[in-house]
Amino acid sequence: MEDWRRIDIDAFDPDSGRLTKEDLKPPYPVAVGQAEIDSKISQLRSAATSGDFSTALTLVTSDPPYSADQAIKERYFAAVLSVLTQVRQAEISTLVKQLSSSQTDVLIKYLYKGMSCPEGQKQGGTLLSWFEKVTQHLGVAPVVRYLSDRNTV
Amino acid sequence: MSDSVIANYKLAKAPIYSHCFSQDRSVLAITLHTDCLVFKMVPNGKPQLVASLSDHDKTVTAVDMSVHGRIVTCSQDRNAIVWEPLSDGTYKPTLVLLRINRAATCVKWAPSGYKFAVGSSARIIAICYYEQENDWWVSKHIKKPIKSTVNCLSWHDNGIILACGGTDGYVRAFSGFVKGLDSKEQVSSSPWADKFPFGALIREWYNGSWIHDVQWRSSQEKLAFVTHSGSFSVVDPSDQIWAADYPEGLPLTSVVWVNDHEAVCGGYSCHPVLFTEGANGWQFSKNIDKSVAARTPVAASLDEEDQDEGASFGISALKKFKDLDLKGKVSTRVQECTHENAIEELAPYSGTGDQVTEISSCGLDGKVVIYRV
Repeated sequence: MEDWRRIDIDAFDPDSGRLTKEDLKPPYPVAVGQAEIDSKISQLRSAATSGDFSTALTLVTSDPPYSADQAIKERYFAAVLSVLTQVRQAEISTLVKQLSSSQTDVLIKYLYKGMSCPEGQKQGGTLLSWFEKVTQHLGVAPVVRYLSDRNTV
Repeated sequence: MSDSVIANYKLAKAPIYSHCFSQDRSVLAITLHTDCLVFKMVPNGKPQLVASLSDHDKTVTAVDMSVHGRIVTCSQDRNAIVWEPLSDGTYKPTLVLLRINRAATCVKWAPSGYKFAVGSSARIIAICYYEQENDWWVSKHIKKPIKSTVNCLSWHDNGIILACGGTDGYVRAFSGFVKGLDSKEQVSSSPWADKFPFGALIREWYNGSWIHDVQWRSSQEKLAFVTHSGSFSVVDPSDQIWAADYPEGLPLTSVVWVNDHEAVCGGYSCHPVLFTEGANGWQFSKNIDKSVAARTPVAASLDEEDQDEGASFGISALKKFKDLDLKGKVSTRVQECTHENAIEELAPYSGTGDQVTEISSCGLDGKVVIYRV
């Protein structure tokens, strides 16, 4: 039996139960709704148009909609991405240094999400320079925390 | 090597996933491939191999020694074996059928030494105890509500509450009460629950990332755990959680209480890390056995040019190849700490009263190291 590691042992014991995606979802008390996100998005937009990226970034990185469903997350992410790409290269480093450790963790999640979808990949260069500044500031710690966190943005 | 290292034994050329000293610290047991090796400690010398326990046929994942000197090993072959020391220095194996369909991952004797718990990838904790009438180790299962692999176990000093942590991101406390072996007096005034029927879920805490180790501080009724995200947390019976992040950010795999307000963790950064409880809760306090010249802590070099900082981070592999290209050899990198690979397990080695002064560790580099805290 060379390939014993590939045997589907659960097939022999239907009661054992497989691990599902639902099993690993963090327990959320309440789900974030549409209206709440819409108001956050408009706040984000107004901060970004007035050029106040520090406020915009604070909004982005505090209280992200972990419990929302996928469609709402996508809508919110589009707004976040537009904020991230509007910031001038030279300002990124200063902005990143203003963030607390938990805020940086959220920022990293958006960066990875951006790099994983087509809309974000068009802005790949910007996202990578954000990423570079974050890792220069805090090392690999935010990345390790991103890898092991089950809350997704 | 710094002065916090008391002893450094290179015992194998393969990972040591688990190690354990006997009560009097004269015997050391380690896991190696599909075997468990037993060493006799020699003062000021290399440990001497006295026995090789090789009944398992897949990788041995954990080893523990009871107060009576009995060794228990568990393995990916889904079995546990209890090794009874005989007077001629050999060990008599007794197979314990765990009745699980995936690998056994961790094993811990209860403080009494009459029962032990085995965690597994089959989302089961097996509590095993010896039954006189049948001359047989019985295994009883705790299943619900574990959702994924159990990584670590820790018995409370009362011998009944069993804490576990796993890859489902939960730390849980169960009752491991075995009728005929335990008495209700052991938990008569416990702040954790009123009733302790076998297998009952007493508490659970959600963290989210993989839990690599849990450890009771029974005298304080507190539980510490470390995670793959490099965080160290402590919980108490009122469900209050204190958490601290390890600034270097690498995963922590093991934790040991030093005293009521200090704990040492080890992990992927290859050296132990001290966390301390102060007025503002738990905080990272210092690195043990890490040379100062090595990589600067990231936060300390805030004012420097960005490029300088970049040089110390993520470039080492690139530099290695560049050196190889230009000079034809790799420049010898200064060894930062005694362990050359991740620390897998820490254990208290010696101490006085409630204070642990020395801890032992084993790692993926095949070393067992003893540190002064």
